[in-house]
Amino acid sequence: MKAEGCREWRERIGALVLGQLPEEERFATEAHLDGCPACRADAEALAPVASLLGRADPDRLVPAPAPPPRLGERIVSRIAAERRAERRRRTRLRLGLTAAAAAAAAAAAVTLVGSDQSTSSETVAFRSLPRGASAEATLAPRPWGSEISVRVHGFRPGTLCQVWLRRSDGKRVPAGSFRYVYDGKSDHAGLSSALAPEDAIAVGLRAGSKTFVAPLPSRSAGAGAWLIPTRPQEDT
Amino acid sequence: MADAFLTHEAGVREAYAAHAGELYGFALRSLGDPALAEEAVQDTFLRAWRAGDRFDPELGSLRTWLFAILRNVVIDLGRARAARPRVDGDLPEQGHEPFEEMLLNWQVEEALGRIGEQHRRVLVETYLRGRPYAEVAVELGVPEGTIKSRVYYGLKALRNALEEMGYES
Repeated sequence: MKAEGCREWRERIGALVLGQLPEEERFATEAHLDGCPACRADAEALAPVASLLGRADPDRLVPAPAPPPRLGERIVSRIAAERRAERRRRTRLRLGLTAAAAAAAAAAAVTLVGSDQSTSSETVAFRSLPRGASAEATLAPRPWGSEISVRVHGFRPGTLCQVWLRRSDGKRVPAGSFRYVYDGKSDHAGLSSALAPEDAIAVGLRAGSKTFVAPLPSRSAGAGAWLIPTRPQEDT
Repeated sequence: MADAFLTHEAGVREAYAAHAGELYGFALRSLGDPALAEEAVQDTFLRAWRAGDRFDPELGSLRTWLFAILRNVVIDLGRARAARPRVDGDLPEQGHEPFEEMLLNWQVEEALGRIGEQHRRVLVETYLRGRPYAEVAVELGVPEGTIKSRVYYGLKALRNALEEMGYES
């Protein structure tokens, strides 16, 4: 019979939490809640809803108008358009990278062509070397100037060798130095200069205290005017 | 649905079908202009779609997330509208509170709209309009006890409706 009794009390809980019960009925219901955890829990669950109900405006309870019928489709197509734009942007990015790759390949091809040109690299011999000594230089064009390979033989081991390129205006452009250490295996030094081979008229080599020159052929006439004497300078 | 929403237009459609009505209803309520409300709903879904990877179902429902976005959209639209007539005026700052309040009011109304007519009727008449039970009982041709009972079950239904809408007390 308790459940039957609770049902009666329960149906008052709505009015109770909304503050609609007459005083006497309210006291009686509250007394029941004090002794009935189940009904109390029910009341506690409904109290927050009761406190929200007052927020509603009874004159605004007409059902909200539905969104315009085509709004959903418009949103989806806007999103599809954005997605396409994004895809295009990514594609452009990819194509951009492809273009960059193509450019890099082209650059590589140029380098290869350059290498091909380097097959037309020149090898020139230094003149007026002492008997038993030989020296030659090979110049290959590089994007940054010239790659110079100097091959010497018959020098005194340990000789410091300085190399430069001479420009048509007579100026020396350094190509570096090396020490000749003949051990029977390698006698060549790889050097480089910022001057392009076609801008050089001669290769200079100072070995110890002696200077040797290897003129570069097929340069403008008169270039020889700048050549230092090919005759080795005897030093003391 | 969350995952679908993030990656597929179908997911957007699904989210739209589930929430656009509410979003539009509230946007209309807060902006008071059908064209602006439409713009707000569109912006909300576009922003949601763009930020889709930031939606974390662990943190809250999609509905809550969409309403949070709508909140920003409505404030932006409100500002833009307020800014239009007077360029240099000090804009009334539409802050956090008024929006949340308005949203909650609207949610309760929306929830009331979702419960049965009999339940809604007694809650509206006895509580919102403050009419005596006896009067409403006569009007509806039912015993007063029935009104009391309907108030109780009406509140329970209202709580369920609010919970369905994502309201957490």
